[in-house]
Amino acid sequence: MGEDRAVADHVHPTMRIALLGVAGTVQFGLCLAPLVTHEYRPAWVAVAAFTALALVTATCGAWVVRGRPLPPTVAVVGAVVVLTASPAATAVLPPDGHFRAPDWAFGLVGWHLLLLLLDRVPVLLAALAVNVAAKVAQFLLSGVPERVEVSAAGAVVLSTTSVQLAVVVITRLLRRGARQATEVAAERDRMVTRVAVAEQRERGQRIGFAGQLGVTLPLLADLADGVLDPRDDDTRRRCALAATQLRRLFAENDDVPDPLVHEVTACVDEAERRGVEVSLAVSGTVVPVPTSVRRELTGPVVAALSAARTRARVSVLRTDEEVRVAVVADAGTGVVVGSSPRVEVDSGTYGEHVRVGARWRRTSG
Amino acid sequence: MAADERLSAVIVDDHPAVRAGVAHWLSSGTPPIRVAAAGDEVRVAWLGEGAEADVVILDLHLGGPTPALSDLRRLTETGRRVVVYSMRLDDDIALRCLESGALSYLTKAEGAEHLLRATRAAAAGRAYTPPTLAGALAGDRSAHRPVLSARETEVLVEWFQSESKDFVAQRLGISLSTVNSHLERIRIKYALSGREAPTKAALVARAVQDGLVHLDDL
Repeated sequence: MGEDRAVADHVHPTMRIALLGVAGTVQFGLCLAPLVTHEYRPAWVAVAAFTALALVTATCGAWVVRGRPLPPTVAVVGAVVVLTASPAATAVLPPDGHFRAPDWAFGLVGWHLLLLLLDRVPVLLAALAVNVAAKVAQFLLSGVPERVEVSAAGAVVLSTTSVQLAVVVITRLLRRGARQATEVAAERDRMVTRVAVAEQRERGQRIGFAGQLGVTLPLLADLADGVLDPRDDDTRRRCALAATQLRRLFAENDDVPDPLVHEVTACVDEAERRGVEVSLAVSGTVVPVPTSVRRELTGPVVAALSAARTRARVSVLRTDEEVRVAVVADAGTGVVVGSSPRVEVDSGTYGEHVRVGARWRRTSG
Repeated sequence: MAADERLSAVIVDDHPAVRAGVAHWLSSGTPPIRVAAAGDEVRVAWLGEGAEADVVILDLHLGGPTPALSDLRRLTETGRRVVVYSMRLDDDIALRCLESGALSYLTKAEGAEHLLRATRAAAAGRAYTPPTLAGALAGDRSAHRPVLSARETEVLVEWFQSESKDFVAQRLGISLSTVNSHLERIRIKYALSGREAPTKAALVARAVQDGLVHLDDL
């Protein structure tokens, strides 16, 4: 949001530089000539008013050229000076000078007010209204005007104020446009970021999935290359391991109330499909187990079950403190499983049987 | 008890095939166990020969979803030795059966061997803890559960995980009889907690007699 405002605020400084140019040009290009050619009484009042307005423009210039907003004090003091100078200059007009060539001040001060109060629109409108009201009052007090004079005055007031009000409206429209453009740009940036993040995640998942395929890819490659003989017992054991790993991996993404038991059951199914008689026992109620921990808990189950020959016992035990998964199988040979800092894995061979247990202490992790 | 000195049992189960299967297992065991009566209602355990049987083998789900816990309670209150034989593996129900004075709780997935052992133990007034029940005890999270020693918990967990007492003994480096006495001591602790039942009192008395627990421990 802060960024939006910063961009939208470029409109005001730019408009102020333009208004500074307009005020200077109008004052010295259009107003200086009537000041010196016409007679004002007393003349010093007109000169003082002109000088005061020139000083207001110069003072504003100090901030405007640096692109800074005007401090409130400068804006208020400036507006007071302008609103004093205008009636003063009007008061010393020659007779019948209202809204004619000698009347240099009325149109000019509108630009000064715009320059001073551009970013304070309600105050600006009030100041412009005061200026017009004061001018009209002075015009009416100077004597009963003729109809022609009234219509001429009306035309001048209307044309001057409408041009100045148009500047206010244009400024506001530009600001709104700039803000919308900024918002659109920001939204587009956010979208680009989201797309990038999604792509990154998908890439990560793909790499992760390939990683979790475990022994499958090298096994398939070796089978394809004829390095491995499918009739070989060792090859069969490796195939059993790969199949169990895949079944577990597919079960991992299923939306089920008890993911751990679901994944363990998938491993058991795969072993039973191979003809291994498996008894599965679950004790305790469902406790939340993070996916990565489940992976580490079921890893030993996969290894032991794929090594089982005819019988296996799989158990899941859950208490307040820990989750334990164990497999006792007639694997014959030892099963190699890795431990991790979170999940303790132990394995041992007892005669014909291999026992593998994985234990996750909930309190520590 | 039974006139011919053989152990006898009454089978209460609403599935004829289960009744026939259990009867076959019991009668073909060594030594065989006589089936005094069998039926699909608890009535058979109260009438005729069924009332005289040493052990009641009770299916907990008789023709309905609600477990027959009140029937179990009535049987144990009169001192009948009950082995619960359930289709369902439910830790909470298993613990409630022990609370009500059942001497054993088996699931139908646990085969003939466990049923025969449980029936023989029950006939002698002893508890039998099959692996599934050991799992239920190891995973017991109820507030009033008895305090078990680390060794006792380890024996429960190993027995649950391996289904083989030889294996447990080998793993923990203890003898088979030590494994059994740990399991019995655990059951005594459970018998001493919760509501009283004549079968539970008998179980404790038996354990004292066997020297498994000392009177001081109570």
